[in-house]
Amino acid sequence: MKVRSLTRMEKYLLAIIAVYSVVVTIANPAFLTFETLLDMVRAASGTLILASGVLVVLISGGIDVSFTAIAIIGGYVSVRLMLSTGINSLLFASAISCLIGLACGLINALIIHCFHLPTLIATLGTSSVFYGVMTTFMGTKGVNASQMPSSMVDFGGCQLFVIPAKSGTTYGLTVFIIPVVIILIVTWFILYRTMLGRGIFALGNSEEAANRAGFNLLNIRLFIYSFMGVVAGIMGIVYVSEVRWVNPIALVGTELSIIASVVIGGAKLSGGEGTIFGTILGVLIIKLLNSTLVFLGLSSSWNDFFIGIILIASVAVTSYQARLKNRRDLIFTE
Amino acid sequence: MKVILKLFGKDSDLSVLSVITVCTFVVLILILGDKFFSLNNLQSLAYQIPEFGFLALAMMLAMLTGGIDLSIVTNACLSGIIGAYFLTGAVFPLNSPAATSAAIVIAVITILAISIICGTLNGILIAKFSVPPILATLGTMILFSGIGMAITSGKGVVGFPEAFMKFGSGSVLNIPYIFILFVLAVIVMSILLSRTRFGKKIYLFGENFTALRFTGVNTERLIIAVYTIAGFLAGFAGIIIISRVNSARVGYGDTYLLQAILVAVLGGVDPYGGRGRIAGVMLGMCILQILQSAFTLFSFTPYTKRLVWGFILLLVMIINFIIEKRRTSAPKAAIKA
Repeated sequence: MKVRSLTRMEKYLLAIIAVYSVVVTIANPAFLTFETLLDMVRAASGTLILASGVLVVLISGGIDVSFTAIAIIGGYVSVRLMLSTGINSLLFASAISCLIGLACGLINALIIHCFHLPTLIATLGTSSVFYGVMTTFMGTKGVNASQMPSSMVDFGGCQLFVIPAKSGTTYGLTVFIIPVVIILIVTWFILYRTMLGRGIFALGNSEEAANRAGFNLLNIRLFIYSFMGVVAGIMGIVYVSEVRWVNPIALVGTELSIIASVVIGGAKLSGGEGTIFGTILGVLIIKLLNSTLVFLGLSSSWNDFFIGIILIASVAVTSYQARLKNRRDLIFTE
Repeated sequence: MKVILKLFGKDSDLSVLSVITVCTFVVLILILGDKFFSLNNLQSLAYQIPEFGFLALAMMLAMLTGGIDLSIVTNACLSGIIGAYFLTGAVFPLNSPAATSAAIVIAVITILAISIICGTLNGILIAKFSVPPILATLGTMILFSGIGMAITSGKGVVGFPEAFMKFGSGSVLNIPYIFILFVLAVIVMSILLSRTRFGKKIYLFGENFTALRFTGVNTERLIIAVYTIAGFLAGFAGIIIISRVNSARVGYGDTYLLQAILVAVLGGVDPYGGRGRIAGVMLGMCILQILQSAFTLFSFTPYTKRLVWGFILLLVMIINFIIEKRRTSAPKAAIKA
């Protein structure tokens, strides 16, 4: 397999991560340890799962803001079902959560395709409906740690290997890395090695052209949004296993920062562009900022400020390059 | 009567909407009776409409060009927070009546100035860097709330002078000041959109911006102006929100984003740009606000409200699509992101 060279955006991101890590290490040498790295992997795993779904949606030229609602619905409903039926199996929970995700995703796709609605507004509407249905009919009562099914708690605490830390405690690599890697590989395979992936890129570049080239847009959209839904369902399970209790009003409201990290990673809403590696880097940058601002002596209140600046800078740079190229080719369609 | 019929014939969206408005009114009056039609309830409507009415106008303006402005709510919050520091005496002490009135004037000017700067930033990103409006305003939305968080650390800015709170709560002849201000803004906006060349260009841009560019219109300046005005309108919303709540904090008005989009779409604004009228948006706002107060009387939870808003949003968009399709039989070809 030929390894492609890095895109320009990925090089920028790598440089930013490297420089930033050096700065943080100088400010606080406690940062550069293996433990911090493994902690970051754990913190980023849920976001990475969602980000791979968001990447597919963005490449297709759409935007989906309903996935956090789907994730928390999947997690909450499956935990409540496990408690009421007494089935203490992770597989059962995952199946329920994925089914919910699949159903919600199909609804999104049908609404977007059949009525030609702008994806942002359509998913804004469906996310309110999904979330409203759950909170209205199932309530917003949390499930606390002592009630949580043991299979989930075990899954959340499971580690692939354990290293004793100097302070006497231990740390290790979280088992969440397995679903993350599987989903990333599946996403990569679908996007770059299948006809379906070609169709997703084609749809993102030009809907009209994709249609005339003979792609079945309905099928492609059904896939894109149900993929997003299923991925969100998996993330819901990972999330509740990680925090070990369920607060049904968590997660919702974080969708824009996850979209932001994918966009920072170089996915373009208007051109069928985006890479998996870029997405991973984008998520890493956001997580790095989240967890290391404290090392620099800034409170977590500064998070959004830096995320906003990086996001604006990255979209401005990529859009401006595309604009210059378009002007050279005498294209004035933006 | 003939005039009304003629008006309806000209614009089917508007007539459908008027019928819906009247129906909601009638149903609610039948269910709730006097409780709904009381002076008290109408007056509370007049207090609630302006703050998000300004946001809806801003959203409408952006949507007419085929774009969207996600940053209006955080723009209102940020400018409100910065203005609030003048009102609490954090910048200079408010030890005399003259200082207090000076602080109010400076605060209002600051709020409007900040909101204009924020709006212009959006415009420059979209026009000069060709960033898609969704992404540009998503970025500035996060940035504005980030600046607000960094300044306040998430805490509220409280303790405004009496005189400033009067602006939000005072009224003349039972009509709140803020409602009069809002009506003035609506009149100015509708003249701007329907009677000036600037307004015409906005609609044309939404129809086909490439064509407009080649007719010799400076589309970049137009877009910067549109988002600047949207920011300016958000600034008014910021003033009204902080004077009604009597404090300023990141996160105020978060639910207004969904509602502003809902009102614009409900009022017949085409999210792909080029179509939509102030009158429609006003009717949409009436429906939303009437339902809102009805929900309060029914004591719905905020989650149920969100469910209903989302459902109405989807329903209206779907109905609009079906009407549009029946009118033009040919499917809409050009799809913009």
